[in-house]
Amino acid sequence: MAPLLQIRNLDVVFDTDRGPVRALRDVSFDVPRGKIVGVVGESGSGKSTVIWSVARLLSGNGRIVDGTILFDGRDLCDLAEPALRDFRGRQASIVFQDPMTSQIPVKSYRQQILDILYRNREQSRSQKIGHALAMMRRVGIPDPEQRIDQFPHQFSGGMRQRMGIAMALLMKPQLLMADEPTTALDVTMEAQIIHLLRSLQAEMRITIILVSHNLGLVAELCDEVVVMYAGEVVERGPIGAVYARPAHPYTQALIKSDPARLTERGRYLPTIPGDLPDLRLTHAGCIFAGRCPKAFDRCHHEKPAAHALADGHDARCHLLDPEQAAARALPASVTAPSPQHGAMPDNSGTQVSEPDALIRVRDLRVSFPGRGGLASLLPGGQPATIDVLVDVNLDLRPGETLGLVGESGSGKTTLGRCILGLVPASSGSITFRGRELTRLSEREFRPLRENMAMMFQDPVGSLSPRQSVRALMVEPLDVHRPKGFDRDAAALKLADMVNLPRELLSRYPHQLSGGQARRVGVARALALEPDLIIADEPTAGLDVSIQGEVLNLMRDLQIAHNLTYLIISHNLPVVRHISGRLAIIYLGRIVEQGDCETIFRRPAHPYTEALVNGIPQPDPEHRRTLISIEGEVPSVAVRPRGCEFHARCRYAQPRCREEPPAETILSDGRTICCHFPLTD
Amino acid sequence: MFLYLFKRIGLSIVIVLCALLALFLLLHLIPGNPATIALGPRATPEAIARYAEKMHLDEPVLVQFWIYLFNAVSGDLGVDVFSERSVTRIVLEALPSTLILAAVALFWAALLGIPLGCISAVRPNSWFDRVTGVLSVATIAIPSFLVSIWSLLVFAVILRWLPVIGAGEPGDLADQAYHLILPAFAVGLSWVGYLARMVRASMLEVMNETYIRAAHAFGLEPRTVVFRYALKVAILPTITLIGIGFGGLLSSALFAEIIFTRPGVGKLIYDMVMSRNFPVVQGAVLIITGVYVLINLGADLVVAWLDPRVRSSL
Repeated sequence: MAPLLQIRNLDVVFDTDRGPVRALRDVSFDVPRGKIVGVVGESGSGKSTVIWSVARLLSGNGRIVDGTILFDGRDLCDLAEPALRDFRGRQASIVFQDPMTSQIPVKSYRQQILDILYRNREQSRSQKIGHALAMMRRVGIPDPEQRIDQFPHQFSGGMRQRMGIAMALLMKPQLLMADEPTTALDVTMEAQIIHLLRSLQAEMRITIILVSHNLGLVAELCDEVVVMYAGEVVERGPIGAVYARPAHPYTQALIKSDPARLTERGRYLPTIPGDLPDLRLTHAGCIFAGRCPKAFDRCHHEKPAAHALADGHDARCHLLDPEQAAARALPASVTAPSPQHGAMPDNSGTQVSEPDALIRVRDLRVSFPGRGGLASLLPGGQPATIDVLVDVNLDLRPGETLGLVGESGSGKTTLGRCILGLVPASSGSITFRGRELTRLSEREFRPLRENMAMMFQDPVGSLSPRQSVRALMVEPLDVHRPKGFDRDAAALKLADMVNLPRELLSRYPHQLSGGQARRVGVARALALEPDLIIADEPTAGLDVSIQGEVLNLMRDLQIAHNLTYLIISHNLPVVRHISGRLAIIYLGRIVEQGDCETIFRRPAHPYTEALVNGIPQPDPEHRRTLISIEGEVPSVAVRPRGCEFHARCRYAQPRCREEPPAETILSDGRTICCHFPLTD
Repeated sequence: MFLYLFKRIGLSIVIVLCALLALFLLLHLIPGNPATIALGPRATPEAIARYAEKMHLDEPVLVQFWIYLFNAVSGDLGVDVFSERSVTRIVLEALPSTLILAAVALFWAALLGIPLGCISAVRPNSWFDRVTGVLSVATIAIPSFLVSIWSLLVFAVILRWLPVIGAGEPGDLADQAYHLILPAFAVGLSWVGYLARMVRASMLEVMNETYIRAAHAFGLEPRTVVFRYALKVAILPTITLIGIGFGGLLSSALFAEIIFTRPGVGKLIYDMVMSRNFPVVQGAVLIITGVYVLINLGADLVVAWLDPRVRSSL
């Protein structure tokens, strides 16, 4: 049977103010019926552009210059607008990356569903709604009869994405295109969505294209994979073959630098040095040649052809040319970890006596006022205050890295901000080198801030767009240092410290790449030579290859300046890689805390176990068959009684519903909040 | 929802009270004795004494304010200095004519401006968009009293299509409507451009949202996407703006009333300022303030009704 979708020699150009950008060049691949094909690449690879070309919904300045997109034997490039409209939604549909922005906020789901089903004229209104309710039930939305009249903002992120999938499937399309469907979701929610997509695919026999930067996700879900780099397909083939024997140097590097693969910590992450090529220029040779560790003369001026390796597996690389056999003898590796750097100082095992802790948090509680002062007085209103953090105990020892892991809404960012005095504590104590912080006034706190710095989550968004990089980097000095220091010298020193090219100092944030902006953030945090850096999601939004660079840099700086890190993240592989100790936070309570490796190897709290098992592994041979955790994070406004996790816990006993567990210390030194720890 | 309504109405009352205080203090800021000012330089001492007693001018300022406030709340805004008629009555008689003028002006402006903005946003930088853009800026830039005078000259004096002055025979709706055309045109014209620019800007923003792309990806008709999806979101800031801009609309109506010699609050305030009839001016300004606050409250409620996010965060 012919493939459902055949893309041949697709060329897409975006006309920009600075000239035409050739976003896709000579892209060809097939999507067989009833299969899941993954399109993998970093940002700028053109992977999403492929989807938008198929849907013929490229943004205004984009156009298909050449090539054919055959869907069921019909060339979509030849279709006029009415025929395309018939194709969209009915034959091919899209699941969007961010369910928060892809559903119109001012229409209820009932209205949105009726709008989508406008073409089913033979159906009555109640038939349409009945059909929609069945679909909502199928994707796992409880009480669909009530929820169909709600609006998107009344749904949680995971439920919204389920709704997005339900709406995409309403017209029973043959092809479903999913653009990073889990990127905006938490780990436990991601696992549930993967499971849902897989079961829907098996049941409805639909064909899926999954676009993702996450190798683990693709390995979990896909039958075939297409690897893209800078607008070109560099390798494609069956998932097992590509992951087991990656042929293209880019694929090899991508798989090597995925932190989920690494099980040992304290090592440098492999990275792919260099930047994406400028797609406004025409490149004569291999598109990856500029960053390829194995590139040789021919790569720079001759385009490699696709070389078939095995059944359906091919890659575009000169090394695979049989005539190039000699070149294969070259050493095959990505940038090896620089030898001059030693391993991370591993002080996690050494027990530091309590007074030595840099930061000590004891019984910390943070409450925010509940919504509307008057509303809480009405019967049935919400409580006057919402506890965001409860009974938090945490020690940060000098020079260590503590990973603070939790899902969105767990209070992990609030804890970081509370330590910095940006959020007032309601009760409990935080000491910095033995000095109590919670009762300090803003004026008393200010000099202490020199010793603590924050790296904010969004690398570009946290920089003022109207200030140059130089001004941004020396700003902390402007605030804390007496006037008259040498600003240029200070900026140069900081730029060198974070390996930021000096010529970028006069640029503005929007001109920087994600990795460069992150470096500016690191430099700002370092400017005052603090003892403690609190990093909120330091690698969120960064590509795998850049992520490694930033983490390696943070590691080098830690050794050079004896820094203490508190890393706040939901990304477990990253945290595992960089942290010595780990604290898992759930609904504002630290449920497990202890040595990072011990926790990953033998989680003691059922929630930790679920998180660890929820990481998609970039290994198609080891797919998970179980969803590790059901349900969603409850709201902090209505805290469950007993153990906060009991409703989602696989091991919950009657006692867990009644009695909140106290913090206990296990024999290996971990603290845990659970009546029935999994180990010990 | 009720809580929101409660809060908003409470806030509106506070605003009106502030306006009351400001108006009261304004009169006391005018140098000299309020009675001499009100009655003019040729008033007899007896008349001044009588007036001072009637207006409680011999009481302390705070007591005066309290009396004023109490009277205002119970609907008594004082009496006309000359005719001794109730100010509330005088202003309320003039109010409908002004409100009708403002409403008709806004209505035709919205009817033309909003679709113009939509079409411009759907085809940005097309010739249609450019022409609309130039004309919009032109109508915003020309003051409404100039439009009034010129339209009067062209349509009423030279072409003789429309009547020059007045509001038409009382009771004859057709005649009143006929007299309304020119003033409504003059008052509403700048709002056509204003609304077109506003709607275009917020439409352009909304058209780039992912949910608009999603609507296209589900195969919805372009007309549905533009008018039932994009416009439904893009209109929200415009509604708030109409509420805020209503004050400007009332002041354009004031000019139009003077130029076209239509009865109305604007004309009333103008005449009463000329004849130094301060209680009427004060009362008229206060009632206009009340109307303005009410319109803003209405605009906010319409937004809350259209936007479930606002509704649930109330």
